[in-house]
Amino acid sequence: MLELKNIKKYFNAGTVDQVTLFDNFDFTVNSGEFISVIGSNGSGKTTLLNLICGSIAPDAGNIIFEGKDITLLDEYRRAKFIGRVYQDPKMGTCPDLTIIENMALADNKGKNFGLSPAVNKKRIEYYKELTSQCGMGLENRMNVKVGALSGGQRQALALVIAQMTDIKLLILDEHTAALDPKTSENIMKLTDKMIREKGITTLMVTHNLRFAVEYGSRLIMMHEGKCITDISGKEKEKLSIDDLLGKFYEISIEKGN
Amino acid sequence: MLEFLGSLDVILQDGFMYAIIAMGYYISYTILDFPDLTVEGTVLSGGVAFGLLVTAGVNPWLAMIAAFLVGFIFGAITGILHVKLKIRPLLCGILVSTALISVNLITTVVGMGGNLAGDGALSTIDVGRSVPTLIRTFPATLLPTDFFGINPRKIISFFIIAVIFKIILDVYLKTKNGLLLRAAGNNPQFVTMLAKNEGRSKILGLAIGNGYAAVSGALIAQSRGNINQGMGIGMIVIGLASLIIGLSVFGRVRFMKPTTMVILGSIIYQACLGFATFLGVPSAYNKIIMAVLFTLALVLSGKLKTKRGKINA
Ligand SMILES: Nc1ncnc2c1ncn2[C@@H]1O[C@H](COP(=O)(O)OP(=O)(O)O)[C@@H](O)[C@H]1O
Ligand SMILES: [Mg+2]
Repeated sequence: MLELKNIKKYFNAGTVDQVTLFDNFDFTVNSGEFISVIGSNGSGKTTLLNLICGSIAPDAGNIIFEGKDITLLDEYRRAKFIGRVYQDPKMGTCPDLTIIENMALADNKGKNFGLSPAVNKKRIEYYKELTSQCGMGLENRMNVKVGALSGGQRQALALVIAQMTDIKLLILDEHTAALDPKTSENIMKLTDKMIREKGITTLMVTHNLRFAVEYGSRLIMMHEGKCITDISGKEKEKLSIDDLLGKFYEISIEKGN
Repeated sequence: MLEFLGSLDVILQDGFMYAIIAMGYYISYTILDFPDLTVEGTVLSGGVAFGLLVTAGVNPWLAMIAAFLVGFIFGAITGILHVKLKIRPLLCGILVSTALISVNLITTVVGMGGNLAGDGALSTIDVGRSVPTLIRTFPATLLPTDFFGINPRKIISFFIIAVIFKIILDVYLKTKNGLLLRAAGNNPQFVTMLAKNEGRSKILGLAIGNGYAAVSGALIAQSRGNINQGMGIGMIVIGLASLIIGLSVFGRVRFMKPTTMVILGSIIYQACLGFATFLGVPSAYNKIIMAVLFTLALVLSGKLKTKRGKINA
């Protein structure tokens, strides 16, 4: 469903600090996949997600989504079919707006933002139902400003909000990394449940190797702008954390440290 | 003290009049975090548009709407400079308000039938007694002009206009479009993820903010009886100080709408200026007092903020 072809991406092009991150990078995402993306810091995971979402443009190459070339499509236009949750829980919601107001905005995604009332009272029950699946008591705090919630609560809300409308692709960038272990575990379970229910194609960057092994149908490992491991199907089911640690070890041997 | 109370009518009238600029700043400064200097130009533009239209016989209510549209367009230009050309907020305001000095002058001179090559005699528009302004036409004419020595017509008219613009803003901010604007100021990335162009929301917000400033300009013109090219000077400070005083003094009052706080803030600010006059401070000191009051307001609101920050942390 999503194809990255011959992608080149440089940073600081034309200066002495030029970094070539992606050089003829190819990557395909198939419909219905839940892909975990791992890799050391600076290996290009966030940049990959930014390219897919249109937050940055490639220097060369094409991005094809469901047969259409979206390489030059603005980020906000791609957002019609992409939902995204960031590492920072603050990114996915508006702190000064209430839970209801945040959800009312998300509920209207892809539609016209005209002069009709922002909050449709009839939808509030539905919003409560959605937030109650998080098991964090959000449904009792619907009129509280989101800025007053904890990081975990905000992230749970961001997750609900990211896929309130029918998106085709869910992008998660270390979305549990800023949370304590217990909350992180809860958010991961919630994520998995939501993805299964809706069958959304998902790309999840994570530093948690256990999450990468336990969840998802495919796993890729990035290293210096290349996809050095790509495991799916039966092989993915059998994969253990030790196997992954072995891979990380191999890389550091190659680099001579 | 009686003397001070005697100037209460002017304080209220000016308070309502300038509150509309402050409401505009509520959008650009508070919601969008954009210190918009365009206002100095658009207040005058609104006055000029209003003055030329009413002297040409246009209904003053229509002329006021026209003033809003003029401010709206110039505000949008500031927004476009910022969003499309990525120019910093302060510079965008400086650029547009500088250009507006000429635009306003040319419009005035040409509108008054003068000659741009000639002397500057026609750079003032008179909206004195013979001109049918808002306060001299129906329905304001239903109000008396004398009530125990004060003129309630201006106060009530300006009060009603300020309330109308307050309600419009309150209602707008509760619409889908208004909520999107608030989101754009709060978290632009969120708007992007809603599949909306956050830049457009910013442009719209600046346009509305300057539309409000221009409406205020139309009222100032009527209050003073003429429009001269220096009318916009000091309006940034009046607008921002009123806004910040209102929000910091009444910020903790539950269920009070920010727009209400802003109107009250504007009255408090005018009362402070009135009090200085009452104490016998010559009017030449006015702008110094304004700047000092503004500084106090900033310090006061900063204190409140850090306190709140500490409680939250
Ligand atoms: N805006 C930028 N300017 C310069 N270099 C960048 C920028 N963004 C990313 N990079 C470089 O690209 C590499 C990959 O970054 P990133 O995709 O954020 O890695 P990851 O998310 O895997 O930790 C890093 O080495 C970083 O130095
Ligand atoms: Mg990253």
